[in-house]
Amino acid sequence: MRKNRALLFTILLIAVLLTSCQKVIQLDLNTTIPQLVIQGDIYDEPGPYVVNITKTVNFDQSNVFPPVTNATVTVTDNEGQSEELSQATPGNYVTSTLKGIVGRTYTLKVTIDEKTYTSVSTMPEAVEIDTIYLKKSFYGGGLIALDLINPPNKDNYYQVIHLVNGKQIPGFSVFGDKSTQFESISYSFMTTSATPPLVAGDSIKVWLECIDHGVFEYFRTANRDGGHSTSPANPVSNITNGALGYFNACSVRKKVFIYPEEKQTPTAVN
Amino acid sequence: MKELSSKGTASNTYGFYSLTLPTGQYQITAQYMGYKPEIQQIDLSEARKIDFLLESHENALGEVVVTSQRKNDNITKLEMGVQKLDTKDIKNIPVLFGEKDVLKTIQLLPGIKSAGEGSSGFNVRGGAVDQNLILLDEATVYNASHLMGFFSVFNSDAIKDISVYKGNEPAEYGGRLSSALDIKMNDGNNKKISVNGGIGLISSRLTVEGPLLSDKGSFIVSARRTYADLFLKLSKDTTFNQAQLYFYDINAKANYKINSNNRVFLSGYFGKDVLGLGNTFGINWGNSTGTLRWNHLFSDRLFSNTSLIFSNYDYRINITNGIELNIISRIQDFSIKQDFEFFLGSNNTIKFGFNAIHHKIIPGVITASSTVDMKTLTNKFAWENSFYVSHQYSFSDKFSMEYGARVSAFSSMGPGNFYTYDSLGAPVDTTYYKAGKLVKTYINIEPRVTFNYILNQQSSVKASYSRNVQNLHLISNSTSGNPTDLWIPSSNNVKPEIADQVSLGYYRNFNDNMYEFSAEVYYKYLQNQIDYKNGAELNFNENVESQILFGSGRAYGLELFLKKKYGRFNGWISYDLSRTERKFEAINNGSYYPARQDRTHDISIVGMYELSKRWILSATWVYNTGNAVTFPSGKYEIDGKTIMLYSLRNASRMPAYHRLDIGATWIVKKTPKFESSWTFSLYNTYGQENAYTITFQNNEDDPSKTEAIQTTLFRFVPSFSYNFKF
Repeated sequence: MRKNRALLFTILLIAVLLTSCQKVIQLDLNTTIPQLVIQGDIYDEPGPYVVNITKTVNFDQSNVFPPVTNATVTVTDNEGQSEELSQATPGNYVTSTLKGIVGRTYTLKVTIDEKTYTSVSTMPEAVEIDTIYLKKSFYGGGLIALDLINPPNKDNYYQVIHLVNGKQIPGFSVFGDKSTQFESISYSFMTTSATPPLVAGDSIKVWLECIDHGVFEYFRTANRDGGHSTSPANPVSNITNGALGYFNACSVRKKVFIYPEEKQTPTAVN
Repeated sequence: MKELSSKGTASNTYGFYSLTLPTGQYQITAQYMGYKPEIQQIDLSEARKIDFLLESHENALGEVVVTSQRKNDNITKLEMGVQKLDTKDIKNIPVLFGEKDVLKTIQLLPGIKSAGEGSSGFNVRGGAVDQNLILLDEATVYNASHLMGFFSVFNSDAIKDISVYKGNEPAEYGGRLSSALDIKMNDGNNKKISVNGGIGLISSRLTVEGPLLSDKGSFIVSARRTYADLFLKLSKDTTFNQAQLYFYDINAKANYKINSNNRVFLSGYFGKDVLGLGNTFGINWGNSTGTLRWNHLFSDRLFSNTSLIFSNYDYRINITNGIELNIISRIQDFSIKQDFEFFLGSNNTIKFGFNAIHHKIIPGVITASSTVDMKTLTNKFAWENSFYVSHQYSFSDKFSMEYGARVSAFSSMGPGNFYTYDSLGAPVDTTYYKAGKLVKTYINIEPRVTFNYILNQQSSVKASYSRNVQNLHLISNSTSGNPTDLWIPSSNNVKPEIADQVSLGYYRNFNDNMYEFSAEVYYKYLQNQIDYKNGAELNFNENVESQILFGSGRAYGLELFLKKKYGRFNGWISYDLSRTERKFEAINNGSYYPARQDRTHDISIVGMYELSKRWILSATWVYNTGNAVTFPSGKYEIDGKTIMLYSLRNASRMPAYHRLDIGATWIVKKTPKFESSWTFSLYNTYGQENAYTITFQNNEDDPSKTEAIQTTLFRFVPSFSYNFKF
């Protein structure tokens, strides 16, 4: 990951050096028949939990994604809990009694027009956010990071979601310790120069989700949706039968960080 | 041979030749492209050794070349699918940043295509960039590009000539599927000390050459450095003005003639790219190569060449952010190569030899100043042994053939862990092999054969078949070659790549060999080609072999080439019509799809005109169909983020690419004691906005819309440099 950042920087530097230019172009892109997108989360905190089902649209259409309203959605766990979800608003199917419990394995089953899509996800133990703090980026500017104590002797995967003044910032921040068993992890999830830039007093709410490997792979590969890969591809979904999206049973811990006053850096006075 | 116009021979790359003739009086003409031909009268009553020392053409600039019998080499020579360039011939061709570059110039020849805007990477007959064997004085160069490919590592002041074999190389070459690029360094002037150099906008270079030990040898040292980062100092942004961005390289070569039967050469290359940001982040990468070579004549018929070769490519990343972190990766070869050439008659030659290479690959080591436990990827070791034999024989004045085979044995070996994977790519078994223990050996026989039928002195027909095997594979998933791309050897999980190519060609010269025309068609079938699983993790992954998919491929095409060789106006037109496809079970439902480098049409036009003794003008124009790429076919939303939907791999096309470059050389002074000139060039003269990348994102002002953004790198890039020689 650090390597990628280094290379990104290199490309950026060369791009600046060589006075590249960008413009919006019109492309006649291929179209496909609309495909199914399923997105569901189960947390270790009280429900209701939501499973959202929509369809894809063509590239040149506006970003309004048609809901799928004729689905039968059930969620079961390996301890005998089972519930058929009811449609609260078009495309949004919600639970009423199901409880998310750490360690259990949840199965999502979605049936639409006699075709069934399933997904399985296991909820890992929760990990607390130790601290959230501001640090200096070596590319200039500031970073907001969190520290956590990483449970030993197993592979741990995390997702960080953050909301600024109550608004969720789109994007996927996942990381894992598969290649290295770190005792503690420091993870920077946003820059202070985000758009719009942070100002003193901004409230940043951070969710630390412990996710399973399948969900991690989904978000890791979803992050690859860049233009620099020779072969961009759809994220690796944990749902069967070719449905897009993911089903995530995760534990979550939350913490709020108030953006402090800019530290005065010594400047020359003239 | 003047007396026997059909007699003649070509020397090998070290200048050794053998001719068998009846006793008598002869006039021998020796010539070499870019040099003045030399004629010697000989009286042949016994076996004789005649050495020729050719003079550079530069002094004869503009003079019409003396006619001789062998200007129709392209017709009579027993080789096809080959392009040769002399650095003297390319010095007037305009290139990006005015830095003349052999790797960019060969991309203007048929069958060889640029891998991208300004790139020194290239694709030969539908092959991937890593399927080119790049040899600098016999040493493999693993990463031939500086600054992400905008410059090649070959400083043209240090390069004598370059030969590109497009898949049907002679049996002494092997190891890559698509091509062999044989680059020879200059030997240096053995008559007098001379200095030449150039001062350019972003780089400067200096070369010193001269005789060694009273004319028995010569040496050359050539160095070059860019100073692009000086421009960064002008930036007000502290991120940029503290940055480092440069490369340098040094070529050196010396040769010494011990006696008339023994000659030794020592040559080396060292280059480095440095990129840094203050003292918090740095990356550097580079190649080094070394060759010690001994030419020996056992008799006037048996020539031997023995080489000890070293090659190394590595990169280092340094990050200082609280703790200091170093990442190192390396590929290193030691090899011994022995070639024999046995001249049975003037057109009856046997070549044989062997080559043994020890490969060591360090995929990645992380070290940290703190005590954090950092993992290291398993180092990889391999032996690559091969031997070859080939026979060149003329059945008659008209019909000749060369046939032979290369046998390659590649063994991956310990120490290290070797894994087996299940169908999902999860490791199911790990076996530790001790140092030197062979894990898996692949033995392949690679037959090669070429026929030449001379129709008349102006035309011939040639055909060939060849098989090539590749046991080192570059793992890369980026559009521009990255310095951190990783080479992996064939192993228990990775099979050797195999290519079979058949080709047929027609060659025709016109106007007393003033014009040279060729048409070649080829068909190539590829086995065990490599692609990656969707979302493959290629960076710093111990189980990178589990991320690979194996498939097959095919490539076919027509290459037309017309060249005007002499006169005040000369140049060439090259046209390719081609298709290259891959087939993987897991991609596009297992049907053939175009490879990224598939381009239907590819045209290059190169023209040079000598306006006067002082001015030479030149221009090149290129056009090609856009690369095959994967563009989204739709979109959807996850957690508030718009995600692109992809359906078929490489089903879309980048826009077509075209560009005109112009150049001029102004010879200020030209005397035997001192020469100076200015070169000017303008890259992309009419400012075509060619697409370097196309990315897709939501409109910033109206997030309900998604747009395609095209990035163009170079429009109107002027450059100039001052060159001198004394």
